[in-house]
Amino acid sequence: MTTHEQLQEVFQTVFADDSIELTPQTTAHDIAQWDSVAHINLMFSIEQAFGIQFAGNELAEFANIGELEKYLETRRS
Amino acid sequence: MGTAPSQPTSTTQQVIAQGDELRKAGQTQQAIEAYLQAASSTEVPEAALCLKIARCYSQIGDDDNVRHWAMASLDDGDDFLTWQGVTGLVKKYFAGSWSGFQRQARVAILGSYTTVQFKQMLAVAAIKYGIQLELYESDFGQYQQDIVDPDSRLYRFDPQFVILATHAGEVHLPDFTDDPTAALERETARWVGLWQRLRQRSKAKIIQHNFALEEAVAMGHLATRLAGSRYNMMQQLNHRLAMAAGNDVAMVDCQRLSSLIGQWRWFDPKYWNLSKQAVSLQALPLLARHTAAVLASELGLSRKCLVLDLDNTLWGGVIGEDGMGGIKLGQGSPVGEAYIAFQEYLLQLKNKGVILTVNSKNNDADAREVFQKHPEMRIKLDDIAVFVANWQPKPQNVQHIAKVLNIGIDSMVFVDDNPVERQAMRQFLPQVDTIVMPTDPSLYVRTLSNYLLFETSSFTREDAARAQQYHARAQIAELEQSAGSIEDFYRSLQMKATVKPFDRFSLPRIAQLLGKTNQFNLTTRRHGAGELEKFMADPACVHYALTLRDRFANHGLVSLIIAFKRGDILDIDTWLMSCRVIGRTVEAELLSQLTHQALAMGCKTIQGTYIPTAKNAMVQDIFAKFGFTRTAEDHGTTVWQYDLTRQAPITNDFIEKVGRLDDEADTQTN
Repeated sequence: MTTHEQLQEVFQTVFADDSIELTPQTTAHDIAQWDSVAHINLMFSIEQAFGIQFAGNELAEFANIGELEKYLETRRS
Repeated sequence: MGTAPSQPTSTTQQVIAQGDELRKAGQTQQAIEAYLQAASSTEVPEAALCLKIARCYSQIGDDDNVRHWAMASLDDGDDFLTWQGVTGLVKKYFAGSWSGFQRQARVAILGSYTTVQFKQMLAVAAIKYGIQLELYESDFGQYQQDIVDPDSRLYRFDPQFVILATHAGEVHLPDFTDDPTAALERETARWVGLWQRLRQRSKAKIIQHNFALEEAVAMGHLATRLAGSRYNMMQQLNHRLAMAAGNDVAMVDCQRLSSLIGQWRWFDPKYWNLSKQAVSLQALPLLARHTAAVLASELGLSRKCLVLDLDNTLWGGVIGEDGMGGIKLGQGSPVGEAYIAFQEYLLQLKNKGVILTVNSKNNDADAREVFQKHPEMRIKLDDIAVFVANWQPKPQNVQHIAKVLNIGIDSMVFVDDNPVERQAMRQFLPQVDTIVMPTDPSLYVRTLSNYLLFETSSFTREDAARAQQYHARAQIAELEQSAGSIEDFYRSLQMKATVKPFDRFSLPRIAQLLGKTNQFNLTTRRHGAGELEKFMADPACVHYALTLRDRFANHGLVSLIIAFKRGDILDIDTWLMSCRVIGRTVEAELLSQLTHQALAMGCKTIQGTYIPTAKNAMVQDIFAKFGFTRTAEDHGTTVWQYDLTRQAPITNDFIEKVGRLDDEADTQTN
């Protein structure tokens, strides 16, 4: 599975919505249910799925999904 | 093929990938077929796969399969993301009118930290145990205000259960004090005071999360030797609260759970700083499961009986082939030690009231001989209530065992090393909980201890003696077949009973029976200890508890009746009996006592009500049997009256009434 596919699956699971399609330009504003609780759930789920640890609230600092994917790729390799 | 939870093989991964492609292309039905094929290759499919299947079924509107696969995903472990995925399905598929629930409960969560996620996880864990929750959550950190304010939303919600989800940071104890006794008394009194306020204003049963210890201990190992260290006092506080809880407050032992998975996993400082998660997200499914299991036991959903295979379950090898000298059991080999450890754990379960039975494919004599003659056997024949070794299908044997013990199939748990037998049990008797045992017997104890529906809300003398009582019950079932008339059979039992009003000694057992009796229970009103105390103080309330012994065993407190005098009518509020003494005139005994009391109180009528449930059809005609006349009916609920001015008092000749049961001679029966 590519990073993109895996990330999309995490999003679909956390938001319980199979219709979520991530693009590099997607931001928190594009997903209606992305509130503060979902943010925490999402952060933890990404950490688990990719075996990484964000420092503090690093997740909030990515401008969009494209940046997050790039970060995950580098941490992965 | 793998028999235990396992990683999918590469071909399985390819099939799943095919399914993914089909799903993306909108061919949902074909995707499901691929996923199901992948799932069929292991006994416990991966959680992520189960969730995919559930979501596909959701797209084609097959609700039953959504529910089935959502629940199946939970069998793969306590993974947060999986549970999170299931929470997304709760609202649509497990809400409202779905009829699959055995219980409903209104539960308030009063937390000292962010409990949104815990609340969602608890709902999921409860569904798994057949309980539908209506949930209330206090505003962040407002648990004390909710309890103290008599007009709070909490009391308007009128919960049946209040969960105090509080954490160590909320405990007012200093790092160190010269007077630990005073500090502990103050802090214990604060928590007990909150419980008391809650109980004054609500009928809810309280479930208290006790305190996981803090991971950083500046005083180091010295802290264990200083009574005044916070580290020591936290443990003392948990102990004091547990002792103060008695039977009124249920505890979830977070101190144990956090050490079970490790404090570094239980608490994640980053998530505390970010959003005040005092229990890390990865620990929440475990905490939710344990909390739900305590709820389930309060709601009478605990399981009663373990059905055990023998070969490669209680010992290594096959007795019919390897013989007494060939089976692995006992000191000297790692496998032999593992089976000893498992047997010893099973005996611990028996001693707390779980009924052990055997269901084995063997010649009866071969199987029994191991119990009688193998020097390393920890479990003896006397520990087994029903012993079935034959060549019949195992589900059929389970039905036989249930019938002999007179318990429901849905109170049984099946343990067998053989995945084929497990599959057969799941298929033919899905009500039985079939435990997926690991291939390595060293892990048997851990696997079984992670099964939580043997949780019980109290421990009474009756529990400790239960195995023996059920053993006696099985003997009686044989006697019944050999006796002539039914009257001869009753007399041959040499039954003796005491009938007494409730008192504080019998109260825990009475509350336990009220909580879990399903079959012989006319109204299924689950009165708690608090209500019972009010009844006992009410002069209009008549209450009797019956204890029974017979030639085989002392059965302890097995039946009770609660009635209220309203004018010249004595109205039966509750009448129930433990299923293990059904069919031997105990019901007549209690009713006889009630008619005499009614006459003594000047009542002209005894009134009874039958409220139907899924489990209590066996008593729908009981009032008619005793000569009551039906006076009203509404949606299956029937009201009955017995006219004391025209009808003779009810009597029973088969049970001798005694002042007290002689307990000395009843521990050995055979």
